Amino acid sequence: MSHILQVEAVCKSFFNVRVLRDVSLSLERGHILGLVGENGAGKSTLMNILGGVLTPDSGSVLVEGRRLALRNPQHAAEHGIAFIHQELNLFGNLTVAENLFVPRFPRRRVLGFPVLDNKTIQQRARQLLELVGLGISTDTLVGDLSPGERQLVEIAKALNVDARILILDEPTTSLTNREAERLFSLIERLRAKDISMIYISHALADVLRLCDEICVLRDGCMVAHGPKSEFSFASMISLMTGQNLEELYPTRQSRASNEPKLEVRHLSQRGVVKDLNFRLNKGEVLGLFGLMGAGRTELARMIFGLDSHAEGDVVIDGVVAQNNTPHDRVRQRVAFVTEDRRQEGLFMEASVASNVAAVALPAYSRFGFVDQDHFAEAVTRVGRSVGLSASALLSREVRSLSGGNQQKVVLSKWFLAKPKVLILDEPTRGVDVVAKHEIYGLMNRFVSEGGALLLISSEIEELLGMCDRILVMRNGEICDHLARPEFNSERILRSAFGAGALP
Amino acid sequence: MQPKSDIQGAGDLQVTTFASPDSTKGESTRDQVGDSRQSAGNRISRLLFSEYLLLYLIAAYLVVMVGLIPGLLSAGNLRSVLSNLLPLLVVSIAQGFVLITAGIDLSVTAVFACSSVVGGLIMTADGGWLSHSPWSVPVGLAAMLLVGAVIGFLNGLSITLFKMPPFVVTLSTMTFFGGVAVWITRSRNIYELPRQIATIGKGSIGFVPYALLLTAMLAAIAHLVLSETVIGRWLYSVGQNSKAALISGIPVNRTIICAYVVSGVCAAVAAILLTGRLETASPIIGQRLLLDTVAAPVIGGVSLFGGRGKIRWIVFGALFVTFMDNGLNLLGLSYFVIMMAKGALVLLAALLDVRRAASTAQA
Amino acid sequence: MLRAAGNGAITFALVLIVFGSISRHFLDSSNLINIVVQSSSLAIVAVGMTCTLLTAGIDLSVGSTMFVAAAVAGKLLLDGSPASLAVVAALGVGLAFGLTNAVLVAYFSMQPFIATLATLFLGRGLALLITQTRSLNLPDGFVQFGSRRILFVPLPILAMVLAIGTIHFILSRTSLGRQIYAVGHSPSAARVAGINTRRVLASSYVICGLCAAIGGVVALSLLGTVSQTFGSQREFSAVSAAVLGGTSLFGGRGKVFPGTVIGALLIQAVENGLVLVNADPYIYPLVTAVVIFSTVLIDSLRHERFLKASRRKIRLEDVSLAS
Repeated sequence: MSHILQVEAVCKSFFNVRVLRDVSLSLERGHILGLVGENGAGKSTLMNILGGVLTPDSGSVLVEGRRLALRNPQHAAEHGIAFIHQELNLFGNLTVAENLFVPRFPRRRVLGFPVLDNKTIQQRARQLLELVGLGISTDTLVGDLSPGERQLVEIAKALNVDARILILDEPTTSLTNREAERLFSLIERLRAKDISMIYISHALADVLRLCDEICVLRDGCMVAHGPKSEFSFASMISLMTGQNLEELYPTRQSRASNEPKLEVRHLSQRGVVKDLNFRLNKGEVLGLFGLMGAGRTELARMIFGLDSHAEGDVVIDGVVAQNNTPHDRVRQRVAFVTEDRRQEGLFMEASVASNVAAVALPAYSRFGFVDQDHFAEAVTRVGRSVGLSASALLSREVRSLSGGNQQKVVLSKWFLAKPKVLILDEPTRGVDVVAKHEIYGLMNRFVSEGGALLLISSEIEELLGMCDRILVMRNGEICDHLARPEFNSERILRSAFGAGALP
Repeated sequence: MQPKSDIQGAGDLQVTTFASPDSTKGESTRDQVGDSRQSAGNRISRLLFSEYLLLYLIAAYLVVMVGLIPGLLSAGNLRSVLSNLLPLLVVSIAQGFVLITAGIDLSVTAVFACSSVVGGLIMTADGGWLSHSPWSVPVGLAAMLLVGAVIGFLNGLSITLFKMPPFVVTLSTMTFFGGVAVWITRSRNIYELPRQIATIGKGSIGFVPYALLLTAMLAAIAHLVLSETVIGRWLYSVGQNSKAALISGIPVNRTIICAYVVSGVCAAVAAILLTGRLETASPIIGQRLLLDTVAAPVIGGVSLFGGRGKIRWIVFGALFVTFMDNGLNLLGLSYFVIMMAKGALVLLAALLDVRRAASTAQA
Repeated sequence: MLRAAGNGAITFALVLIVFGSISRHFLDSSNLINIVVQSSSLAIVAVGMTCTLLTAGIDLSVGSTMFVAAAVAGKLLLDGSPASLAVVAALGVGLAFGLTNAVLVAYFSMQPFIATLATLFLGRGLALLITQTRSLNLPDGFVQFGSRRILFVPLPILAMVLAIGTIHFILSRTSLGRQIYAVGHSPSAARVAGINTRRVLASSYVICGLCAAIGGVVALSLLGTVSQTFGSQREFSAVSAAVLGGTSLFGGRGKVFPGTVIGALLIQAVENGLVLVNADPYIYPLVTAVVIFSTVLIDSLRHERFLKASRRKIRLEDVSLAS
């Protein structure tokens, strides 16, 4: 058994949330292992552990039979592991050749001074570029390259340090078809040179085509691991969704009406979204599902006025929006809980009270002066209504709260402004189970009081449990629409993956 | 009324009356360890991070200095300290508003000069535009304030609309309007200003100088705006996290422009004070104050990173700088030692700022 | 070439054209050489400043460094020491300032603005202490020395070429130089890539200090005197020269040659041109300010367009990023 890489019983938790549970896998020399799973299944965490970015709470990683504690990316690189991230770590202002060598340039001495050995650099760079099949000049600035070309540079970088194990994370997301084919032929060539790879991707067809073995991760557990022949589209998808039916969702009665509070008509932005149309009715919870990169957050940002759109209209409460800024949206009683609460949803160094005050402040003021008493009262009221404890409300620093409480602070902030339309982007990410349940209760209360809610989520169960209707997005378009009677997790995943008819 | 917290934080709302002034613990996972050594360390860091540190230092400084300089606390000297303090304080407040939004205004001294000069040109008895007219003083004063507002608006607009960095924008306006001031006066001072201006600058009502009244009023208004108004909160939010502020529906661009306009107007007010005191409108007035206007707030604890700062901190900082200048001067220590001391202080204040940011940062 | 120097080059060309057509003598070789000589001190300081700007930092203390270096060198010369000793002493001063800033910014993680602001105060105080707040007037001999030529090339220009050449070499041909660009572009990616960001930052401030000191000595040789306001506000001119030459205040972008050099020449050329056309001397700062402002404005607008174009694309037909 020539396992070049083995993972044994690795566990990892963040803030008391278990992200990886007893995960094991093995990679044979010269093989390509496909790793599939939904968003949030734990793929990134696992790869970050292998790449030396994170350390596991328990379990071990063995490279060529030797147990290793990988402290940092350099350490991982020294043992031959290279992690090609989705967000490439290249310097756009340097040339291709320079990017290949940046922490350790080959040097020579001129009059005693260490100077870049350009000849060696150029030679080696040309060799590497040839290896990866990139026919560009070594002097091109990385900033001028397309995402596909940059990725090849990143792979060349890995080959430069003699990586024996390459981890490719969603490599085809930003590639054109042509570039993807180029990548695949490179992968074949590398395999022939006995380089082992872990290939993480949503593109199941590619996984089936390229990989020798496949493993499926679900909810932090490795639920299947075997040769390619044991898998098919259908089996992969059903393994990913699983029979995970925890009664997490409070019972709800649909109160959806036919009165649209938010409408999107022919929304388009070149390269991002194309001809989006949908309606969000009063009292309704509309779910939006899509894989990473499908365009869900981009859509939400456009609706809220954070990003511009080239064509189309956003209609709020029957009125076509003339201005598109967050300030206008807030005035039109639209609320947006973003994906990234630390950077965009909260003022981390400020107190809970200040955070809750952020949106609704003008409503509690007179002639520009804040009505402190009424306001303090309102803040307490709304904070309690979302379930924040008294001590949490008094907290002087939001950053010391748990993820669940932080999210409640964000929700209080918006609820205080009494919105008519609420857009939630991954609201329960990084939130513990108890708080999750409470947040679902808040969502239900909101729509039962007449609000309209757009729920963007990567967790299919969450959508199945909470929504009246579900939209599925893929590649910037809405590709499927399910009403409650049609709810089916396999259909949703199939639409999201673009798997079409099951083979 | 609810007790306001003294410790760090930018004008936080008090939610209930339970918040004790010294509480820095919310739902923190830090344990209340009864270890005496740790609480002593805690006490020291609380002292260091306390906003009244400067006042303690000033008091200590005065105690030490009074021994060396008998005349330090004499009426004459205190008057001198006051007259140096006031213009610096007003311009530091101007700078403070901008610092809170995580910006910088290098043009405050240029506004100072331009404003002074415009006022002088309107009001001077020596061929001024409105000389000898009963309107000269009100129009002159209004014009001075307008100059500040316009320059501030230009700064704010460039920064928000054109997305240019505040440093370069205010550097350009500083060069430009500083040059304008020198140009329209041909480097000459303007004398023979109306009596009223001198009164504002030097006169008193009873024992209280008008200048002090004006400054105190300005500081009070600034404090009110920052701690009690909506726009004040918006200033802090924009400085802390402009992305989150934008998403919360705060009109970020308008807020930033406001900060720079306020800065300009305050600088103009300082110009009124100093022009009045000197009874001269000068194109190079207040030039050497520029870096002091950044040093005073920073020493007082206003963060260059934005989002933190209180008027009283700026007052303490300006007080400290002025007293230090004054004391070291009286000691016969030269200008350069004072410069060095100022440099060392700014350094210490900044190191403290970094420590404070690091100690509350996420692990 | 155009891209490297950016808008500064275009502005420079415009300035040459405008002044050249208004004044007969502007484009005379003697005048052009004059411009270069007069800009030498600023060019050297600005080149050093560029190094710190490239790391998304700034060094406000260059003016004070110039002052102290010139004061020390001046004093030594007045006491009869040979010029070489004076220059070495000045370099020592530059090194001291550079190291101080380096430690504050790289090791104490202070914001460059405030750290170098403090050094500015400290330095100015120190300089005034050394000169006892009196002007230092150098003997004519030294000033003659300053305007001397070696093989028809004036000394200040030689110094400028040497300094700029060295820095350009460092930035483009050494490991340190490329890492400066990398750190300025993205400190986090630099750390992930294994670059010693502290050392890189520290080096940029040391280089800046050394350049400021040399610039001070060159200015001394041109002026022949160290007054109380020597080097005052130089930091702003240095930043302006760098920015005009295409250096971004956000880090990672900018070239010393031709960029910053053109920026310094541009500032000097504008002043020179204004003198030749008998413009009211009072409008010099206004023109300079407008030039700086408009160049940075165009730069900002370009940057905005660049950011918009690189918004993450999802649907990809075979399109290039330029669309």
